[in-house]
Amino acid sequence: MSGTVDCSHARLAIGGDPRNLSAEVEGHVSGCPACRKFRDEMLAMEGRLEAALQLPLHRFRDAKKSHAPRRYALAASLLIAVLLGGGAWLFQPRPALADQVMEHVRHEAGSWALQRRLAPDEIAAVLARAGVHFDSSMPVVYASPCPFRGHVAPHLVLQTAQGPVTVMLLSHEKIAARESFEEQGYQGVLLPAGEGSVALLTRGGGVPETTEAEILSAVRWQ
Amino acid sequence: MNPRPRGTTGGGPFARLLEGLRPDLVRFAFWLARDRAVAEDVVQETLIRAWKSRDELKDPAATRPWLLTIVRREHARLYERKRLPTVDVDDITVQGDPALASEGDIGLDDLRRAILKLPDEYREPLVMQVLGGLTTQEIGKELGLTQAAVLTRLFRARNKLREIYGLTPANDVEDAG
Repeated sequence: MSGTVDCSHARLAIGGDPRNLSAEVEGHVSGCPACRKFRDEMLAMEGRLEAALQLPLHRFRDAKKSHAPRRYALAASLLIAVLLGGGAWLFQPRPALADQVMEHVRHEAGSWALQRRLAPDEIAAVLARAGVHFDSSMPVVYASPCPFRGHVAPHLVLQTAQGPVTVMLLSHEKIAARESFEEQGYQGVLLPAGEGSVALLTRGGGVPETTEAEILSAVRWQ
Repeated sequence: MNPRPRGTTGGGPFARLLEGLRPDLVRFAFWLARDRAVAEDVVQETLIRAWKSRDELKDPAATRPWLLTIVRREHARLYERKRLPTVDVDDITVQGDPALASEGDIGLDDLRRAILKLPDEYREPLVMQVLGGLTTQEIGKELGLTQAAVLTRLFRARNKLREIYGLTPANDVEDAG
């Protein structure tokens, strides 16, 4: 022991923050073999603790991919169960949202070549058709009120630093979680946005998450 | 529409800063939520909130602790809002989540699982300190605890992990403030 610090205080300080000990605790540790051993053990563990917390994020992505077949397997087994149950006539599968976004954008592929920035009133007229606000400063070069799954969905093209990005504002398509997809050189993502969702589609590289965040923060359903 | 602040869209400095910090935010969110999908959702919400509130950040050097604070609050908000079921840690352990697996370092795998099994009240300050780089004072402010109480929680967290490490735990300490 030294000064006012006893072994109990020293252990508490070491366990609380082994790399930042006060001079008093250091003084105690230097004169107390048991606490010095405790400190050395904690410091050795600290390096391992840091390594443990640094999760390998590439394995996150791999793990996410490996979950996909299980989801499909579950979906397939549900389909079989419905068919075996004689309810095939009940089962009218709605095309997947991502597929329909892809299909829709393919039909308006020319929109990506546009460069003229639309005036705010041109964009506002389209948004008003769907009762949506999109308050972004990003340049909008295309805006169309498109029929989509029984509703009007504003279909926009933004020019970003990474190239054109198609944005579909789907006020009637609520989704539970972010879903990314890729097909024929297109990269897309469906993003939950309150009571609706937003579809983003680009080509030659996905949409950066910061751009996603900026776009999502600009959307407000009426 | 509002004029765009210079350098904040797409590849702007603030956006690049967020992108650079994103991996740490995902890790931090994962250790709080113990669920990859929830962690990704929390980080997405965090980026949106950070983007909206970017004018509040006066000191760029404080970006990291500021974002970690938002992650923590978004995580808490998500559970409040959606009443998500708590994660069964045994499920994670039994299934052998590949995201938790190190490359051949079994000791590290065991340590990760031990961290996941720590009660929230011990795991949260530990992750804030070791991964987030927050001081005990900052952790106390964020969690509404005295510095002594934070030290006690951190001590207990590490003391529990000592067993995984094959070390004898120290005697427990009295609860503080």
